[in-house]
Amino acid sequence: MKRYGEHRFPGKLFVVEGIDGSGKSTQLMLLHQWLQAEGYGTVFSEWNSSPLVRDTTKRGKKKHMLTPATFSLIHATDFADRMEHNIIPLLKAGAVVLCDRYIYTAFARDVVRGMNPKWVRELYSFAVKPTVAFYFRVPLDVAIKRIHDGRNGFKFYEAGMDLGLSENSDESFRLFQGRIIEEYEKIVPEYEVTAIDATQPIEEQQTLMRQLVKAKLAQAKRLRVAP
Amino acid sequence: MKETYDVLLPEMNLADLTGKLIVIEGTDGVGRSTQINLVKPWLEQQGRAVLDTGITRSELAGKGIKQAKAGHTLGKITLSLFYATDFADRLEHQIIPALRAGFVVLTDRYIYSLMARALVRAMDPGWTRNLYSFALKPDAVFYLRIGVEELIPRVVFVRGFDYWESGMDLHPSEDMYESFRKYQTSLLEQFDVLAQEFDFDVIDASADVRTVFEALRLGISRVLSGEVREPLFAGARPKSHGDSNKPPETDEISSAKETRGSGDKGAGERGETKPAVHALAGAAEDDANR
Repeated sequence: MKRYGEHRFPGKLFVVEGIDGSGKSTQLMLLHQWLQAEGYGTVFSEWNSSPLVRDTTKRGKKKHMLTPATFSLIHATDFADRMEHNIIPLLKAGAVVLCDRYIYTAFARDVVRGMNPKWVRELYSFAVKPTVAFYFRVPLDVAIKRIHDGRNGFKFYEAGMDLGLSENSDESFRLFQGRIIEEYEKIVPEYEVTAIDATQPIEEQQTLMRQLVKAKLAQAKRLRVAP
Repeated sequence: MKETYDVLLPEMNLADLTGKLIVIEGTDGVGRSTQINLVKPWLEQQGRAVLDTGITRSELAGKGIKQAKAGHTLGKITLSLFYATDFADRLEHQIIPALRAGFVVLTDRYIYSLMARALVRAMDPGWTRNLYSFALKPDAVFYLRIGVEELIPRVVFVRGFDYWESGMDLHPSEDMYESFRKYQTSLLEQFDVLAQEFDFDVIDASADVRTVFEALRLGISRVLSGEVREPLFAGARPKSHGDSNKPPETDEISSAKETRGSGDKGAGERGETKPAVHALAGAAEDDANR
């Protein structure tokens, strides 16, 4: 079992993190377009978790039978499946792998639910360290304004309703996401995550992202032609 | 007061857990369920409420794990985490509520079997210990210890080899016999390490069912009466019966301890023999059906 650290696979792993409404998925989609146009073998890591794990997660959520501990562990199981069966084989094959959310989401979410921060970090220590992890930093009000149009209420666990912060799902979501942001801000320096100001125009954020990615890809190419 | 190995789960209140948590550990085919089928009625006759539980019996993940094992499709880390999910669900929804209600919780395996399996599959030892560090420390762990030579005939003649019990995921090119032998040998080695680390009460499971049951009864009676157990490896306590009844290959772990009860048949016990005999008749069959 390998521990969290720089991987030696020929592929590259780029991940985006941030709360809902931070614009991270848009940025990742734009990055994908560009990488493909540049001719890189680029793959979105699809969350193709095995139906067994997926069904267990679904059942637990539907019946509201998850505690913070089982919520954390079932998501770690799902993530491990994705790591073992999807991300690692792709990196071995030399792909540029893109992930919308990674272990940092779990660090933030599980700790807000009351799990021990050290325990959660150790739990995910089997994960491959990303080539670059981007955090899209956005004030809570801006994010909520962005998602208010696109969405019709929040799901139980998405709004952190299991925490009993508020009876109202909008209010619960706001309180929950506020705490998630606090956790993200601890994670950014700890894991050398690249923070991007997500209030800037989309094109400016994308330009910055492409610069940072390009620097890492040049390295990869040199490595690949070396004997 | 009860405690965990390290981390506390949110809203885990340990203050009023008045029941007793008793673990029966041991490898595949060693006779754990046979013994549990004897111990449970014996305890209930004494008026104690018993919850028996065991791995993959959670409402949340039990079914998923069984299906996953049938298809052999999950990776090693994934399967370890799936087991931990099942364990956490049972800890929070079965074990802790029962302990709060004053039950004797009798569990067929606990975190140690899960840890041993993970370690044999090359999971990181630190990672594995952290994973289960939210587990409650049991009041006692009775480890049914057996050598691989004695284990093989039991498994072959009772139920045959099983894919997972033979570690076929680790040695896919071997035949099941060779694989079983290798896998169980390394599993038993891991158990011996854990026995020392987690202070197991070791019972020689190569003895017949009744002798093992008597050793268990004695140990469990001691736990329930609140007797303090002597330190394991200090050798401080004078031995009440000698080492003569131990197999010659016994290693330092079990020789540092006594095979409890094997020399004290019936001491201080009345009226328990009868249900034991009843249960004995169906015990081997139960084990085969599990």
